[in-house]
Amino acid sequence: METIKNYLESMFAALPNTPEVLKAKYELGQMMEDKYTELIEAGKAENEAVGIVISEFGNLDEVADALGIETILQQQEPDNMPLLGIEEAREYIADAGRTGFLIGLGVLLCICCPTGAIIGGVMGNEVAGAVGIAALFLFIAAGVGLFIYSSVHMSRYDMILKHRCRIDYGTAAWVNEQRDSYRSTRAVFLAIGVILCILSVVPVSVIGMLEQETEEMMGFSAALIFVLIGIGVLMIIASSQRVDAYNKLLNLNAPGTVGSTYRGSGSDDEVYYENKAVDGIMSVYWPTITCIYLIWSFLTFRWGFTWIIWPIAAVVETLIKRTLGRKIS
Amino acid sequence: MHMNISSDVMRGYNDTIILYFLLEAPSYGYEISHRIRELSEEKYIIKETTLYSAFTRLEKNGYIESFYRTAENGKRRTYYKITDTGRQYYQEKCAEWELTKEVIERFIHQI
Repeated sequence: METIKNYLESMFAALPNTPEVLKAKYELGQMMEDKYTELIEAGKAENEAVGIVISEFGNLDEVADALGIETILQQQEPDNMPLLGIEEAREYIADAGRTGFLIGLGVLLCICCPTGAIIGGVMGNEVAGAVGIAALFLFIAAGVGLFIYSSVHMSRYDMILKHRCRIDYGTAAWVNEQRDSYRSTRAVFLAIGVILCILSVVPVSVIGMLEQETEEMMGFSAALIFVLIGIGVLMIIASSQRVDAYNKLLNLNAPGTVGSTYRGSGSDDEVYYENKAVDGIMSVYWPTITCIYLIWSFLTFRWGFTWIIWPIAAVVETLIKRTLGRKIS
Repeated sequence: MHMNISSDVMRGYNDTIILYFLLEAPSYGYEISHRIRELSEEKYIIKETTLYSAFTRLEKNGYIESFYRTAENGKRRTYYKITDTGRQYYQEKCAEWELTKEVIERFIHQI
């Protein structure tokens, strides 16, 4: 019966979500179900019954004028709308999950880059200081390397995601199920990530209260701030990237069609800007913030304070989105 | 000889067939499809899409009316019943068939 249901859903997937279409789908589904039930009761094997029901279903063109969807059926060019199968969806999500982790790792390395310099600084000898500075650039280089690798690796999916393409009902149901079952994992990752970021200042404050604190201890605990934040951010980014992948797949089906029963929730966040200047600025928003952060930090060397730019930037971005952005849908 | 009737030939008479069943009593989609198969001794099997488009067309023209009825198993089904104009239309279609049959017969002979 599941096969028949999927077959019917796929047939209707690209049609508009109007009362006429939904009624037709319901009625046709009822007839198919009745026929299937009777064939099974007559002793037919399940496969055989499914085969008979599907072969006797007919052609949607026939009901087109009854639904006022004739024009839509004609406009539809199946060749231009490749259907994404469950295997491709599985592969994409696995890849997105992996690169999401790599991007998170890259961010971790960038956030942790001053740790070497801080520890080297408090060690008090010149070699350690030089190694620390070298480590700073090595970390950044490795992080940027990971960003580049990830974006090049994922660019092979641009064709799929940016060109018009649909996912069939069975795949959409599968992706939706995966997204739902990932929800609790995602919540745990998010919570631990945020907790790590908040707790990152605990070691340094505890050591600061000790009476016999040494400069080394202060250095190590300061370095620990970056490591903890880095791990926290890694967990947040890696899990968000995976959820993004689920939403991107689910958003392939045009809104308002029967196939879009499962919509990705991520669509609500995506906005566009009518003002060309704002659009230009926003497209390079985060790289710019990163540059400002690095330049500011290197010039002042107040790494313990300059991180404040990240939460501020996030708030500013949300404000800009809310005031100037328009929802895509 | 076993032969399936092409749906093209049947197109003009699906309405007549459906109305024939509704003359007796109101009925629903699968029951009608089942009875067509039965009465035609499996020589004509109507497609679901054909049947549904016939229902909507007949209803739009006022020949049938639909209503809901809940079956014993709690399933809600759409039932159709024939109207007075539907009966009239059925009679016209029967007369038309008699004429068609008579004309076509003149061109049929065994080779």
